[in-house]
Amino acid sequence: MKKKIGVYVCHCGGNISDYVDVEKVRQAIEDEGGVMLSKATMFACSDSNQKDMVDDIKNNDLNGVVVASCSPKLHLTTFGKVSERAGLNKYNYVHANIREQVSWAHSDDKAGATEKAIHIVRAAIAKARLAESLEPNKIVAQKSVAIIGSGVAGMKAAIALSKMDCPVFLIEREHFIGGRVSQWGAMFTTNETGKEVVTRLYNDLAMRPNVTLFTGAEVVSNAGSIGDFKLKVKITPRYIKANCNVGNLQQAIDACPVEVPDDFNFNITSRKAIYHNFPSEYPQSPVIDIKNCTRCGKCEAICENIDFSQKEEILDINVGSVLMATGFDPYTPGEGEFGYNEIDNVVTLPQFKRMIELSDKKLLFKGKEVKNIAYIYCVGSRQEEGGNTYCSRFCCTSTIHASLLAKEKFPKVHNFHFNRGIRTYGKQEVLYRNSLEQGDIYLQAYEDALPVVYRENDKTKVKINDILTHGKEMEVEADLVVLVTGMVPRAENSVGSLFKLPKGRDKFFNEIHMKLRPVETFIDGVTISGACQGPKNIMESVNSALSAATKSFSYVSKGELETEPIVAGVDAEKCTWCNACSEACPFDAISLTETGTKSIALINNSVCKGCGMCLPVCPTDALDLIAYSNNEIESMIDALAHD
Amino acid sequence: MSEQLKNTSFDALVVGGGIAGGEAALNLANNGFTVLLIEKELSIGGKMILLSKVFPTLDCAACITTPKVSEISRHPNITIYTSSEVGEINKIAENNFEATIIKKPRYVVVEDCTACQLCEQACPVSVPDQFQYNLVGRKAAFIPFSIASPKAAAIDIDNCILCGACEKVCPTNCIDFTQQTEEIQINIKTVVLATGFKLFDPLLIPRYGFGLYKNVVTSMQMERELAPTRPFNTVLRPGDGKVPDKIAYVLCTGSRDATVGNPICSQICCMYSIKQSQLLMGALPMADVTIYYINIRSFGKGFEEFYQQAKGMGVNFVKGKIGKISEKENGNLILRYEDINEGIVKEAEHDMVILSVGVLPNQDAAKLFHTDELKLGPHKFIDQVDSLISPAKTSIEGVFVAGTATGPMDIPDSILSAGAASSEAISYLIQDK
Repeated sequence: MKKKIGVYVCHCGGNISDYVDVEKVRQAIEDEGGVMLSKATMFACSDSNQKDMVDDIKNNDLNGVVVASCSPKLHLTTFGKVSERAGLNKYNYVHANIREQVSWAHSDDKAGATEKAIHIVRAAIAKARLAESLEPNKIVAQKSVAIIGSGVAGMKAAIALSKMDCPVFLIEREHFIGGRVSQWGAMFTTNETGKEVVTRLYNDLAMRPNVTLFTGAEVVSNAGSIGDFKLKVKITPRYIKANCNVGNLQQAIDACPVEVPDDFNFNITSRKAIYHNFPSEYPQSPVIDIKNCTRCGKCEAICENIDFSQKEEILDINVGSVLMATGFDPYTPGEGEFGYNEIDNVVTLPQFKRMIELSDKKLLFKGKEVKNIAYIYCVGSRQEEGGNTYCSRFCCTSTIHASLLAKEKFPKVHNFHFNRGIRTYGKQEVLYRNSLEQGDIYLQAYEDALPVVYRENDKTKVKINDILTHGKEMEVEADLVVLVTGMVPRAENSVGSLFKLPKGRDKFFNEIHMKLRPVETFIDGVTISGACQGPKNIMESVNSALSAATKSFSYVSKGELETEPIVAGVDAEKCTWCNACSEACPFDAISLTETGTKSIALINNSVCKGCGMCLPVCPTDALDLIAYSNNEIESMIDALAHD
Repeated sequence: MSEQLKNTSFDALVVGGGIAGGEAALNLANNGFTVLLIEKELSIGGKMILLSKVFPTLDCAACITTPKVSEISRHPNITIYTSSEVGEINKIAENNFEATIIKKPRYVVVEDCTACQLCEQACPVSVPDQFQYNLVGRKAAFIPFSIASPKAAAIDIDNCILCGACEKVCPTNCIDFTQQTEEIQINIKTVVLATGFKLFDPLLIPRYGFGLYKNVVTSMQMERELAPTRPFNTVLRPGDGKVPDKIAYVLCTGSRDATVGNPICSQICCMYSIKQSQLLMGALPMADVTIYYINIRSFGKGFEEFYQQAKGMGVNFVKGKIGKISEKENGNLILRYEDINEGIVKEAEHDMVILSVGVLPNQDAAKLFHTDELKLGPHKFIDQVDSLISPAKTSIEGVFVAGTATGPMDIPDSILSAGAASSEAISYLIQDK
């Protein structure tokens, strides 16, 4: 059937038409074979133009459509849907990118840009001539979601999904839930403590029959894809019997001879090899740190709840979507960075927060009362080169809040803030005001001369040339130096690689589009939330967690999903199964199958992304990509090469 | 889209058709719930649809907003009333609210209007165009703006002289002066408030001379000058139409300033000013751009890098708050400020000044509720009663809040906040079943 194609060339309100002569492009292609109608439009994506397109397709019985506009990443789906509304199968729609590939790239050469645009539109028309109608592949979607990480984001997402009647597997690597927030004391804005927040969330979770919580659990492998992820979860035992009576457990803990740094308190205290996190921890049972346990048997002798016979287990979990809520690590300063690990009384912000929480009456550091505190901001954030160039967002507010708490709890404290411009954005500004009003001292460093921490006469001092006093050199004798460390991606982040999740420049997991698809990733069915996506405070993490929960729910709620029919196909005659294609496939979508007479490649349609990596490696040309067949691509190349 | 009333019962009422309200409505609708979306302006899309490009990705705002707007307006589960306001909302019981919608006449039958603009050409009345922030004029019979949704004419009855010229030229006879204000009673099960924010009015700081000196404009006016649907097709200063070459930004105009009653930070002005400075460097390669600031707050994902990029492009950042602006005879402006780095009071001459105006609360939503109190926070934004764990919850169970109605925030945060509000609303609706 001869194609009747409609072509729309978009001005993009100047984004394209400032550099490309849109009308000239339209005229150049109006007589191309198959083109029945061609129009220039201010915004192809606008509601009014979409309506016009629907009318055009219906009134002229168009069976092919080309829009030359922005990147297909932005609007391929938009115009595909326009075609469908007009009753035209969306695979007859072809997108030509003349913004990112033309007008933005060649803003210095209008004539050349126009010429290139004409060629790109011709190529799209060539493809439209050969395009065929396709039907999406339908797959069954498991109505359940796995949430990885049970910090505030993960727990909140679990509650939201549970309320939507969606079964949830909440998978936590640690033996206790609550993530980073459980480590914080009173928090801005409500002064609720981290413990209280975690307790509230846990109590809500505990009532929900459709939430299954695993602690000490790690996802170790994934097979499958959207609608049908097949996860293997490794559960490490607590070595404490379930539903044990509290009985002699405390005596068993007391009896343990092992002392190791307590990472819950960021190593400022120590704990035993059998330990609790804190009194209101969840689940409410201690755990044996088997790596550090010497198997001396003292605890076993005292308490019958201890059970060293517990074995590691591997569970199989089958879910329709995966929601990542794996959180962040606090930045660890380098040796000697602002005196870290070299000068005695230099600690990090998380350590300082634990110190406030654990100290009573007097703020003590190594037995000595702390009066002067110097806070050094942006440690591990806004680094000029090589390191973390981003701002960690939460730390200015968090530090000022902590300094106010310290002052309130220990009135003898004096706070000195060595900052690089305070960023208490939005309502958080009131904290900064309160701090100034109570007499905290703020000193701001020049960008090329950060403060220096040094020892002199047995005292720790911080020196700065202060912008706010026009460059005057100031020196503070500090009893404690607090390095305001930012957020970095989790050091142990291999779970992201299991799903092949893309990362941004900052090494955090990356969303598809900050505004259009803020919690989706390029891996279909995997959403991201909270600080694994970038620095966020609690409220912001919760907002993203709820958004991600709704998105994950939308994948699985109907029990069925449609996936793109644009996948690779195998010509059984030509295929000799050399294995080259399956090695080239980044998604493990190709396996071996027997036809009875020979071995050939088999494509798993729900895993294949249509990326085309397998095509060029096939020595017998047995593979072709639906909708991007050799025929179609060759016709596009011809159009591009033609003068 | 249906502007006609077919149903008086919906699952959710979303108040406000900006980016947050639109996102919340879409989330609800995509999960199978029916939504009534109320917008007081003639078009949905809120403030975002009027922006130029958005930070830090420099996507054009229209490219992101228009398809969303289109999806909202076409969605079978969403009913939209533009030019409409909510009169009152009363809670009868959980999952049972009654609301009164006041639908104001547009004097145009939207379904019949083809946006041919003949009425616009025929109308003899010219008034300032509020959608171009008064930079240019419009007619009393007018299409709000080229990417408006619905794209249909409207009659500005306050300024209309009832000459009938528009009626005569309209090819589809869609102009109807007999339209009346309608009051519609509806029943809903949950409410999402996405009533947005107001911009600070710089007339409240007379020493900056806004309204007096023509070359002092607001950031929203500059936004329009840079937008794809810009009024002048280039950047120029309003005083004499000259293309400026020494431009200044005055940050924290009406923010972090207790003297004007707004002690908090507006969260977006640093970034939109940096964005505009980058766009200006592109539009006017020879121009100097200076940003006068207290602190630069580039805190979000990719924001700090965006700030560094502006520095790299040659934008001049000066730490110091502007004390006073005065005008020279040639329309240039003298800015008096303390240069904090050097500790001296200085004066600088610029030929155009942009006031980076801040975000103020829209307090209208609080007046809608009579049976229960919708609490406002200390800064008069809608109070988030459980701000850490359930940021979308308000003082009324079943009423949720999204976007800048809770406080200043940028577009990505507004969208996530709308995601949270719709998630809570969906949970609230499902638990009733």
